[in-house]
Amino acid sequence: MSHPVADLTALLDGALAPERRRDVEAHLAACAACRAERDRIASALAAVAALPPPPAPAPGLEQRFYVRLARESDRPSLLGRVGALRWRVLAPIAGAGAAAALAVGIAVRHRAAEADLARNLDLLENYELVASLGAAETAEDVEVVAHLHELPEGRP
Amino acid sequence: MAPDPDAALMLAFQEGDETAFRALFEKYGHAMVAFCNRFVRDAARAEELAQDVFLKLHRTAGRYRPEARFRTYLYRIASNHCLNELRRGEYGVLRARDAGGSEPADPDALPGGAATPEQAAEGAALATAVQALLDGLPAKQRAAFVLCRFEGLTYEEIAEALETTVSAVKSLVHRATVAAALALAPFGAIARKEAVP
Repeated sequence: MSHPVADLTALLDGALAPERRRDVEAHLAACAACRAERDRIASALAAVAALPPPPAPAPGLEQRFYVRLARESDRPSLLGRVGALRWRVLAPIAGAGAAAALAVGIAVRHRAAEADLARNLDLLENYELVASLGAAETAEDVEVVAHLHELPEGRP
Repeated sequence: MAPDPDAALMLAFQEGDETAFRALFEKYGHAMVAFCNRFVRDAARAEELAQDVFLKLHRTAGRYRPEARFRTYLYRIASNHCLNELRRGEYGVLRARDAGGSEPADPDALPGGAATPEQAAEGAALATAVQALLDGLPAKQRAAFVLCRFEGLTYEEIAEALETTVSAVKSLVHRATVAAALALAPFGAIARKEAVP
């Protein structure tokens, strides 16, 4: 049997078929050069395994993803979709007739988007995060985000 | 094939269950950023690439078929995306912005959870050597090596992710590992020392 150097990594990875593994192991028992090469590869694998874990992403990875998903969606923008919820969120505290009419109009227009956003609403409840992402552009947007936590449990 | 709970989540998402998608993101989001970081060495860009992968997954969910394990399917999207990124050639030169671009959870903690500053320094030197190794590998060897050594995929799964044969994967992984043996020889002693209880 010629030196099975090309099989040594697969041997260490447990990826050789049983019969081939037996042949390679039999060769290793009789070949010091191949044993040395196997040990060299095993040493590299141990070094790679000792590598420290990569740094974790900055906090808020999921929120940033959903903000981007909303922004890049063909559906209305994030703020448009947040706007669709304004009626529900701000009605108890706003009460202005004109604002209510506007909110109802938006809600009708974006009903599907509203349901989608509502499913992920908790991701947007972090006021500071949303503000830092620049998603809240106006004082009204900031007020909406600040009051998102007031929505009752079991919301749509 | 053993039941794949991730595939079940993906099928639920196909039926409109957004919480199923969120469960998949929670499970794989961090791993995907780490995977992409092995290709671009830029924490911010790695996150952007990982987001791209999940955006694509979200938008093309209808194409998923449960014959493929979800994890393999996800890494196929991610591998293609990262290899395309490498082909664009933007990351041939080390960027000044490195792993430091990500905020550590505990700013006082030593990197990689090291117990002493010496261990932290050894770990940092090893990480630099591994990154230099990855940068020097041909793109497909790099992808196969990362999938095998860091993501823990089997040769069969890597073959599926890279859309090639198991035999080709065996060769890619072996050549990359031989290169690693050369590049990381000085660190073998460290690894052996750490293995001793």
